[in-house]
Amino acid sequence: MMSSRQRALIEFVLDNLVWFLLVFMLAIFSVAIPNFFQIGIFANIIEQSTFVGVMAIGLAIVIIAGHMDLSVESVAALTAMVTGILFCSHGIGLGYTLSPEWLIVPVSLVLAMCVGGVIGAINGWLVVRLQMNAFIVTLASYIWVRGLVVAISGGRSAQGLPPSLRFIGIDTVAYIPLIAWIAIACFALFTFIMAKTPFGRHVTMIGGNAVATFRAGIKVDKLVVFSFVLAGAIAGVAGWLLAIRTSGATANLGTGMLFNAFAAVVIGGVSLKGGVGQLPGVYAGVLLLSSIHTAINLMGLPAHYTQMILGGLVLAAVLLDTVKLSIRQKLA
Amino acid sequence: MKRILTAIAGVLALTALALVSPAYAQSKGKIYYMVPTLLDEFQTESVSALTKFLADVGYEVVTLNADNKTDVQQSQMNDTIILKPSAIILAAVDFNALQPSIEKARAAGIPVMQFDRQITATMSDFTSVAGTVEIGYVAAGEIQRLLKEKNGDVKGKVLQVLGDPADPYTLDIQKGFEEKMKEFAGVQIISLPAMAWEASNAGTIVSDQLVANPDIDLIFVHAAHLAVAAVASLEAKGKKPGDVMLVSSNGAPVGLDLIRKGWEQVEVEQPLYAQAAAIAMFADKVVTKQEIKPGTYTVLGLESTVSIEKWGPNIKIPGAAITKDNIDEPRFWGNLKAPTDKIVPVE
Repeated sequence: MMSSRQRALIEFVLDNLVWFLLVFMLAIFSVAIPNFFQIGIFANIIEQSTFVGVMAIGLAIVIIAGHMDLSVESVAALTAMVTGILFCSHGIGLGYTLSPEWLIVPVSLVLAMCVGGVIGAINGWLVVRLQMNAFIVTLASYIWVRGLVVAISGGRSAQGLPPSLRFIGIDTVAYIPLIAWIAIACFALFTFIMAKTPFGRHVTMIGGNAVATFRAGIKVDKLVVFSFVLAGAIAGVAGWLLAIRTSGATANLGTGMLFNAFAAVVIGGVSLKGGVGQLPGVYAGVLLLSSIHTAINLMGLPAHYTQMILGGLVLAAVLLDTVKLSIRQKLA
Repeated sequence: MKRILTAIAGVLALTALALVSPAYAQSKGKIYYMVPTLLDEFQTESVSALTKFLADVGYEVVTLNADNKTDVQQSQMNDTIILKPSAIILAAVDFNALQPSIEKARAAGIPVMQFDRQITATMSDFTSVAGTVEIGYVAAGEIQRLLKEKNGDVKGKVLQVLGDPADPYTLDIQKGFEEKMKEFAGVQIISLPAMAWEASNAGTIVSDQLVANPDIDLIFVHAAHLAVAAVASLEAKGKKPGDVMLVSSNGAPVGLDLIRKGWEQVEVEQPLYAQAAAIAMFADKVVTKQEIKPGTYTVLGLESTVSIEKWGPNIKIPGAAITKDNIDEPRFWGNLKAPTDKIVPVE
């Protein structure tokens, strides 16, 4: 017979398995890879987690709500390009300036969120009002939004964001870059929203059983649309950060990030069936992926191995999730 | 139901609008240009240059974008062969995979010209290239010079950031570069690929390597748009222009901007305008299946050599190293000043 303390310990380990896995992998890399164990590398890992991490927040919310959003990568690319075109001084940048200069930070951020939010609203409307499949709707958005990026840029790039915006990509606080702090703040904020507010609880309920949630008097349609809007706006923030990090935008910026975001969400323990998942786990998943990328960079392995390892890791995460589920059933 | 029908009608109307294009006056016919992608500035500008130069000699250009997908380009080739254009210009996504499509087009009587990406495994009717391996050679020469100026000898640590590891273009540059650097034992080269030619991937590589190998003397990136992200990472690590030398290839506008700002020392350019002009100069001969004679031809002021190779007539146009001393010359496509003089066909 298991004591309640033992049971609580096992529950704790199962809930935070991905964090333990992260610590384990970091320890292995630190021992096995020369130059890995240093504060600069850990700061890099946190910094590199920023874009996929922020993107994964919105994706996780939509998945927890029982749907799918494949458009987040293209939305991030679009908002990066819009930011680049408006505020960069070279290439296709129009070089708009604001007075006082610091206004560029809130204005560009709000603009990026609005652009992303509009795409999210279109997705949400098509899914809820027209009852179209979210996978297909957002797949279409993934394609046409990237097409829009190419169209508005003409395939050219914008570079040279002003220092009043670039400082976010350059300055550090306690060794960690400012953009990484922004990602951490986003995770903290949305972890709170998902865990402690009626919105978060209702979204999780919808993902678990939309019909029962509707019968409980909760406005399911409105919340699903809002989840898509939120995912779009958050992807907009990811694109804004990406533009700041690379000091501009190219038409192929962010290519491949969707799959990393998906991998992070799955590794982080979010169920693709909806109704299950916590954002801290997703952040651990993103950090794990970044650690592997960095380890491969330092080892000088051909990049093809990155994808093989990532694929294997996603598979392992799904298997682990199955094991977790069966352990929980035995505990119950 | 009404909503769905309205949405469908709206989407169809937008699609139809997008497909409507003005009818161009045709004098000599249509030439299809198979561009591998429109996600980089070289390819985008190549569309404008080929369209303009071929219009000068009487052809209308129709461009099909393969989005860097080999199978898409193969399908486009098949579709185009059915349309029987005057000729096809191919910038292949995959040098080997397109070989059967080239043979199929030529068997159907449609001449095929290779632009920028040389295919030597089968016959083509004309090839206009700067030579990707040669770009690696030019880069190696410049990097040897820069290392010698900095360290007193050709020695030091070089970080080479490739493009996508599945793209033969970047592998050729790497091959040329490493071949010429092989004899310098004092040079350590760390090579890593930026997947999908995506800028933030290049930035990540530079960030990691600057921490793991803080004594890197020089970074060589295989495309100028990757150099922008590399500079952003250098800046984030507190580096100033010139602290770590930077060399890039393809000659895009962003690379030239970085030279002007002092971050980059050399940009190895692909002579895009001359490569496109050569296609236009020889288009009549290719379309009418006349003989192309070997020799030296002046293409937009550049002495270029036509040779008859086992894969057909081949014009090689010299690439150039752009530095702060010659950066403003209009012949560099990165300055985006396309030559306005009309192209004259070769007699």
